[in-house]
Amino acid sequence: MLRAELWNLNSPVWIVAAVMMINYMLLFRPINVKRMLAILSAIALIVLVFISPVGVLADGYLFSAHMVQHLVLLLLVPLLILISLPSERFQRLRTSGILRGNATPIIGWICGIGAMWLWHIPSLCSAATESTGIGLLRDASLVAAGLAFWWPVFSPRQEQRLDPLAGIVYLFSACLGCTLLGVYITFTTISVCPAFTNPTDRINIVGHLYDLGLTPTVDQHLGGLLMWVPPCMLYLSVILFLLSRWYSTMDDRLSLLPQRPVQAGSQL
Amino acid sequence: MDISFPVFQPESPEAQAIFDLFVAVLWISAGIFIIVTGLIVIALIRGRVRVDLPKQDFGSHRREILWMVGPIIIVLWIGVISMKLILTMNAYPKVHPPHDAPADAELIVIGHQWWWEVRYNHSGRVGANEIHIPVGKKIRVEVQSADVIHSFWVPQLGRKIDAIPGRNNFIWLEASRPGEYQGRCAEFCGNQHAWMNFTVYAHDPKEYAQWQHDENVTLASVTESAAEAGEKLFFSQTCVNCHTIDGTAATMTIGPNLTHIARRKEIGGGVLQNSPDNLRRWLKNPQAIKPGCKMPNFNLSDEQVQQLAAYLESLD
Amino acid sequence: MTTQAIESTAALETTLPRERLLPWVASVDHKQIGIMYMLLSVIFLIIGGLEATLIRIQLAIPNNTFLSPEMFNQLFTMHGTTMVFLVGMPLVTGFANYLIPLMIGAKDVAFPRLNAMSFWILAFGGVLLYFSFLTGSAPNAGWFSYAPLSTKPYSSLLGVDYWIIGLAVMGVGSIAGAINLITTILCLRAPGMSLQRVPLYVWIMLMQSLLVVLAIPPLNSALALLYIDRSLGAAFFEPARGGNAVLWQHFFWLFGHPEVYVFALPSFAVISEVIPVFSRKPIYGYAFVAGSSVAIVLLSYGVWAHHMFAVGLGPAAEIFFAAMTLLIAIPTGIKIFNWTATMWGGSIRLTTAMLFAIAFLIQFVIGGLTGVMFASVPVDWQLTDTYFVVAHFHYVLISCIVFAFFAAVYYWFPKMTGRMLSERLGKLQFWLWLIGFNGTFFVQHLLGLMGMPRRVYTYADLPGWGLLNAVSSASVVFMIAGTLVLLWNIIRSLQHGSPAGNNPWNAYTLEWATTSPPPPENFSSLPEIKSRRPLWDLDNPELADWKFSSTPEDTLSRPTKAKTFAWLFVVSEAIFFVLLLASYVIFNSQTDQQGPTATTALNVPRTAAFTVFLLASSATFWLAEQGLRAGSRIRFLTSLGVTIILGVIFLAGQAIEYKGLLANNITIDRNLFASTFFTVTSFHALHVFGGLVALSIFWIFGQQKILTPRWHAPVQAVGIYWHFVDVVWIVVFSIIYLGVL
Repeated sequence: MLRAELWNLNSPVWIVAAVMMINYMLLFRPINVKRMLAILSAIALIVLVFISPVGVLADGYLFSAHMVQHLVLLLLVPLLILISLPSERFQRLRTSGILRGNATPIIGWICGIGAMWLWHIPSLCSAATESTGIGLLRDASLVAAGLAFWWPVFSPRQEQRLDPLAGIVYLFSACLGCTLLGVYITFTTISVCPAFTNPTDRINIVGHLYDLGLTPTVDQHLGGLLMWVPPCMLYLSVILFLLSRWYSTMDDRLSLLPQRPVQAGSQL
Repeated sequence: MDISFPVFQPESPEAQAIFDLFVAVLWISAGIFIIVTGLIVIALIRGRVRVDLPKQDFGSHRREILWMVGPIIIVLWIGVISMKLILTMNAYPKVHPPHDAPADAELIVIGHQWWWEVRYNHSGRVGANEIHIPVGKKIRVEVQSADVIHSFWVPQLGRKIDAIPGRNNFIWLEASRPGEYQGRCAEFCGNQHAWMNFTVYAHDPKEYAQWQHDENVTLASVTESAAEAGEKLFFSQTCVNCHTIDGTAATMTIGPNLTHIARRKEIGGGVLQNSPDNLRRWLKNPQAIKPGCKMPNFNLSDEQVQQLAAYLESLD
Repeated sequence: MTTQAIESTAALETTLPRERLLPWVASVDHKQIGIMYMLLSVIFLIIGGLEATLIRIQLAIPNNTFLSPEMFNQLFTMHGTTMVFLVGMPLVTGFANYLIPLMIGAKDVAFPRLNAMSFWILAFGGVLLYFSFLTGSAPNAGWFSYAPLSTKPYSSLLGVDYWIIGLAVMGVGSIAGAINLITTILCLRAPGMSLQRVPLYVWIMLMQSLLVVLAIPPLNSALALLYIDRSLGAAFFEPARGGNAVLWQHFFWLFGHPEVYVFALPSFAVISEVIPVFSRKPIYGYAFVAGSSVAIVLLSYGVWAHHMFAVGLGPAAEIFFAAMTLLIAIPTGIKIFNWTATMWGGSIRLTTAMLFAIAFLIQFVIGGLTGVMFASVPVDWQLTDTYFVVAHFHYVLISCIVFAFFAAVYYWFPKMTGRMLSERLGKLQFWLWLIGFNGTFFVQHLLGLMGMPRRVYTYADLPGWGLLNAVSSASVVFMIAGTLVLLWNIIRSLQHGSPAGNNPWNAYTLEWATTSPPPPENFSSLPEIKSRRPLWDLDNPELADWKFSSTPEDTLSRPTKAKTFAWLFVVSEAIFFVLLLASYVIFNSQTDQQGPTATTALNVPRTAAFTVFLLASSATFWLAEQGLRAGSRIRFLTSLGVTIILGVIFLAGQAIEYKGLLANNITIDRNLFASTFFTVTSFHALHVFGGLVALSIFWIFGQQKILTPRWHAPVQAVGIYWHFVDVVWIVVFSIIYLGVL
């Protein structure tokens, strides 16, 4: 993993990162530490999935590495970006067309799940791997779709957020959607992304990968399982977060209020 | 009485690794059990004597989350050590596509209702219900099925793996010490699932060479008169429709290969010890001994049974 | 009030069965149906228990010939099937039926007649399953009926067919029952009872019912495929003809593992009521108990393959499923912590119910910990399919279904009958069961370690095997004795038990606010509901919960019953279709298929044209709804009529397609393309047909001018179903005809 060829430090992704950072600093002052952390993590993740071995291997070697990249761009980065947006600023904004469109959960859902399915149609997946242009289009569309997907849950505008119970249904059905795709990729006998079955060995590493057991079949298994388990875990965590929001006003705070004298030993 | 727990008496590096993992998990479980039960018992003892209204405690998020830390660490740890073992024990042959290398299994074991066919890839020999391996050598075994799903399991030598029709599974087989290791079918496979046992014989190098030599000896022609009559019977009756005896006209593979049957220790997948008496009992009516097995009762006369048994006994 | 209650119980007991029987059979009252569920469960518990006893007699000594292998295999198959579908399911459904409307302050369940139907369907399924004994061959391929053992070549007799049909019938009953309960909980809560305030029993049963709705459809698709294999000669599970032997296991465990939680959740529900009441405290961390149930429902769908570690799925899949399985231990662990913390510092009354609850807790911990061992894949490779696993799941299931529900019986019997059960007999029963259960099943752990595989009808006389098996078998006597004590206790207490009064345990939830037994309409008046423990608030006004632990106020908005029902039904059907389509995709992505394929056999343009008709029918139905809302009968009837005609045209198109295929000798048993094509499209056509029947009924009602505004909701519900059928067709058409994927 430390071999120099496995890192792509000269990637243009740095420019994207710089632009994002500057824009954020300009648009959303004064800076809040928590939000700053969120946007910094988002930018760090974007940079990492392109310059680290994940990015290098995703470029034609490993379907599973591509999947990691795909998921980070579709799920984690947009989530962090939304968290980094200051709600006061958006509260004051007049509802523009795009924002209103995003507020419809069905569209968000279709964007999120659709991006997963669409970019794993064999021909599209291969095309995006082989051509830089389509690849860029894919990466950009993933972030956009991710923003649309998370909008109804983490929108900076309170009134556009789904009711917690509806949010749970939203995420649970999304989980079923990516489970299906994950199961399909894991257990199908055809190659979901033919571009990865016969890599051109630019950095002389294919042999090592195969020796590690990452043959195309295993690689696709792994990719399918990545598509399936980590997103569902993320959705599940958010579901639990929503549940706690739903139960919010309670339990903890109030049990600390003074009560009838308690005898010794009854406290845990 | 020497009770044995084969799962706890590993005789191969793989079985040893599983055993070590199992023991670790067992200790963790015992610890958790003692803590939880202890807390419950203390709560009960203290709670029984308390008569006044207890504090109405609705819970605390902080305590809940603190409590979760322990289980999460344990679960992660179990996950990681299991993962290591899963990866090292994988016996699936490494394939470097696009140039598919042929699977290089030394042994092919095929589950049948209700016996095991054993093929030695290099010598081309075929046996049944007995597997002979040299000590200390890691052998890749390909496990298949001819009919329904079975499961190949030698507790002292390691994991079990299903024998599935239409699918080739692989497993490592290795024994650290010479000896006989009991194996069983572990997946329900119909009527006689109970009697689908087999034995792995691990030989030291000398013994193994001897066994290989014996295995390759061609059968001497039959001389004794009863056996001769038995031989005739074997080829005139339906026996030849199912069985193979190397070097003869019997070449069918529906039933077990009988080439060296006299040397086997058990018959019928472990239902009987192999002795002349038992062999006669078996031939007289297999259905009485292993009801439902695929070998029908041929209603042979006692004399015919005698002759057939004599012939089979001569197949040494 | 108490004397009144006693009178009604006495009346219940003393009048002759003949006059009392018809009201029960014809009943649509949730309490009576609940009790009938429980009785059904008891009857089958006795049958399943007898089967288990015969199994243990056969295994008591080595080389036993008490039962033939054939008989043994039938018995263990029927034992498993009975205990899961005819004891577990009716028992948990029965209690839920009885308790949920009472706990949420409702008069009855959402659809009382559907409720009765669910019960009778389940009972009928049970009879169907047992009818197989009369045909001379009960099912004998195990309760899991692994293919190919369960396919025609290896199980040629009718037993497996009865098993398939019996299970499918019972599955229909279970789904209908579960949808009914969910609708009840969502739509019929009394004012003040916000969803955040329902008793944990109700919340957990809501999760359990959701799980039933999600988990039974995979079983139904698997059963459909197996039945088509067996009776129509398809080869879904026959490797020799291109099928896949492992597919059955995926489908079956996709149902089978959630099913474990279908049993575990109700016991969690019971325990979450019993422990707080007998500790005189509220449940510790309500939100965590409730939330962990949600997590269990979500996770239980992703762990099925841990039943298949011996299959050889490959390291990647094994690691992921192991991780998921380990993960699901955490929400369960949270619950154990909460129950323990609830007892901690409480004032504990060791009633029989509490004893059973504690025994459940400790035994469930044992079962859970052995479960964690199985999640560690290499350990699973050694121990799966041995008696260790038998011990493991009996610890889980008997703790859940038997011990927790014994607690439930002792706790709620006074409410159901107005009489207390004898505590003395109860404690005797408790100790008998504790000894019997642990004696029978603990030693089975050791047998597993000795290498004894499960499902063997006999075994060789190896050292120790005979002894441990004998101990295991002998202990069964204690469980039988314990059960007899319970039955005696019930019979005796019905006549002579001391009167219970409304709230004998000083419990907190609404069912204790009414008489014991409750009147037919459940409540004459409801207490004010301002917290999770309305009765506690009533008894301890200065310590009322809402003063110390406030909960979100009730918004008083409730979804409509008909629409809730329709959505749940659609979800369940969607899963059924998704799995059928999955089988289509799996079998048709194999490149080496012989014979016709989608590209060679199907007429895409013609079907596309008929698809337009079907999609148009969705639009016309929307117009019909608009007409109804506007009060225009003519518009409603015309649009509905057009909808029906469009649907019929679509079906005619299907018929033409089928005719063409059959003329080309492409029948369902031709190859896997044909099998999957006919399976998917004919199930869809069946749904279209069902929709047409429903639409026609509305059309006839419309003709007779009895279409009042109260029909709006049902029409909307049918509309949801009709649109769903169209959406399914879009997916079917894109996958099969257009070859997307």
